[in-house]
Amino acid sequence: MTLPTRIKRFSVLDRLSHVFLILTFLLQTATGFSRLYVTTVWGKKVNTLFGGYDTSLVIHEWTGMVMMVGFVLHSIYLLTRVDWRAPVKSIFGPDSLVPNLTDARQFGQRLRWFFGLGPLPGFNRWSYWEKFDYWAVYWGLPLLAVTGVMLMYPLSTSRFLPGWSLNIAALLHRAEAILAVTYIFIVHFFIGHLRPSSFPMNEAMFSGSVPMEEAIEEKPAWVQRLKEEGKLESARSAAPSLWYRRLYFMFGYAALIFGVYMLINGIMHARQISLH
Amino acid sequence: MSRISGTLKIAILAAILAAGAIMLLPPPAAAQEEVASAIRRYKDREASTGYYEEFEVRPRRGRPFVEVPGVRAGVFPYSPSAAQVRNRYRLADSHMGIAFYKEKTCQTCHPEQAKDIHTVRANLTCRQCHGGEPIASIQYFNSPMNPVRKHAYICAKCHEGASASFASYIVHEPAAGSAKARTGFPVLYYAYWFMLVLLVGTLAFFIPHSLLVGLRELFNKKRTTNNDAADAH
Ligand code: HEC
Ligand code: HEC
Ligand code: HEC
Repeated sequence: MTLPTRIKRFSVLDRLSHVFLILTFLLQTATGFSRLYVTTVWGKKVNTLFGGYDTSLVIHEWTGMVMMVGFVLHSIYLLTRVDWRAPVKSIFGPDSLVPNLTDARQFGQRLRWFFGLGPLPGFNRWSYWEKFDYWAVYWGLPLLAVTGVMLMYPLSTSRFLPGWSLNIAALLHRAEAILAVTYIFIVHFFIGHLRPSSFPMNEAMFSGSVPMEEAIEEKPAWVQRLKEEGKLESARSAAPSLWYRRLYFMFGYAALIFGVYMLINGIMHARQISLH
Repeated sequence: MSRISGTLKIAILAAILAAGAIMLLPPPAAAQEEVASAIRRYKDREASTGYYEEFEVRPRRGRPFVEVPGVRAGVFPYSPSAAQVRNRYRLADSHMGIAFYKEKTCQTCHPEQAKDIHTVRANLTCRQCHGGEPIASIQYFNSPMNPVRKHAYICAKCHEGASASFASYIVHEPAAGSAKARTGFPVLYYAYWFMLVLLVGTLAFFIPHSLLVGLRELFNKKRTTNNDAADAH
């Protein structure tokens, strides 16, 4: 039996969700920053691009609603992924993104590996930082959604909560947005593009599959498990076609350049604005 | 007979269901109450019309002594001579007797108050909220800015239907991380520090983490890794 040269890592739905998140997130960054920085020259320019102070807010609000729908659909999808006959095993199992004790242990191993004191941890399907990546979005999105809706309907909100909660909502919305933007545009982009083992681009999330050597090197326990469960053959996957690779390389780099542009300008102009 | 008891049963069931449905409703939040009067409570919307009875405009129980907001109130919080000191927090004209007031702009004397969203982003002028001369102190009992009627007299001019709860939004919020916010607006203060610690903590963890991964991989590229698969079980 020959080993497959590529195995499947992400389903079409996973990849579509990722592209959906990229597009909406970048749009929210652009419209949100353009309003946050509207008192600076740069912010005004970006703001004009989106039709000015009021129109950019309309775009921001609608995109936010689309994201919320996406979040709800994704959560329903998550529930369907749990094996309800053995929920505990499947929620804390190796295919799940829920953190477990193995992650803590592997983080310890990782620390030792940094300084050459031990081997690379044999990651299973998800490593601890991939899990963090996922949960950072999963908790950030509802926080932004709730505070965003509060600011969208301040009068209705003040019927249920005291009006000063709007001060808090505005602060949390901005702070969480800045946290998400810095994390994605620094850490996530570094891991996805600049890390030596994935430079120039980690293609897994776009092509949906990874080369076998890469999987063995990075996720040995996962490959091992697929082998033991006899699932390796069904995970066999074809290499992405050339046009498709071209497409997602352009897309990925456009997103990277855009993100870095936003981040650098944001940092450059940070002193000229206040959070409120 | 049995038919009557049947309808009765349905009626009782419906009553129970209705009672249950009412129980499920959220209790009225403080926000839904009208702060105007200790005697009568107006509905949310009515309050926005700006109609108030005369007695509400006077200070409650007409205390004879001047108070400073936030300072402990009592029967004799001040000595009689202290009570004669002009307290700018309760004046009909808060700028009474201030020299060169006419020659200056609001921002020169109140730089902190010129940093709010309404001024910086929405380009409002101070007077669109604080009104023409004389500018009363916020707590002055006839001031349109007085918290009992601020929503109707000020906010509702632009935010149609503004309620008293809405007007408890702090227009000139203190800088979120400052000591002033800590005493004046603790929720804002702690929300700010929580988010800041989260931001700094996340970046302080993941930036070195990513860099170390990158560096290590750069020097390790050629070396084979020890794939101890059994380790992960
Ligand atoms: C010459 C300086 C000066 C100028 C100009 C000035 N103020 Fe004041 N203002 C004061 C001082 C001093 C007080 C006393 C209370 C304090 O220190 O906050 C005061 C009090 C107030 C208060 C009441 C504060 C309270 O706690 O009740 C308001 C409202 C106010 N000013 C608004 C304005 C507005 C609006 C303008 C512009 C039209 C303005 N001021 C211009 C010096 C000034
Ligand atoms: C959106 C309406 C609005 C605008 C515009 C506005 N204020 Fe105020 N101001 C208020 C309210 C409401 C208060 C009561 C306390 C609060 O909510 O911060 C207040 C309070 C104040 C106080 C009392 C001290 C304090 O911070 O509570 C001063 C002084 C003051 N304003 C000055 C100004 C000056 C100067 C400007 C223009 C740069 C200005 N305000 C613009 C609504 C406004
Ligand atoms: C002269 C018109 C005017 C008055 C009076 C006014 N506002 Fe506003 N307010 C605005 C405008 C315009 C905006 C939109 C600002 C923006 O989007 O940047 C706004 C925005 C707001 C917001 C949303 C802030 C955010 O972070 O998105 C709140 C809350 C608010 N006002 C509360 C008040 C309160 C409370 C009062 C009464 C003390 C008041 N406003 C009086 C014009 C006004």
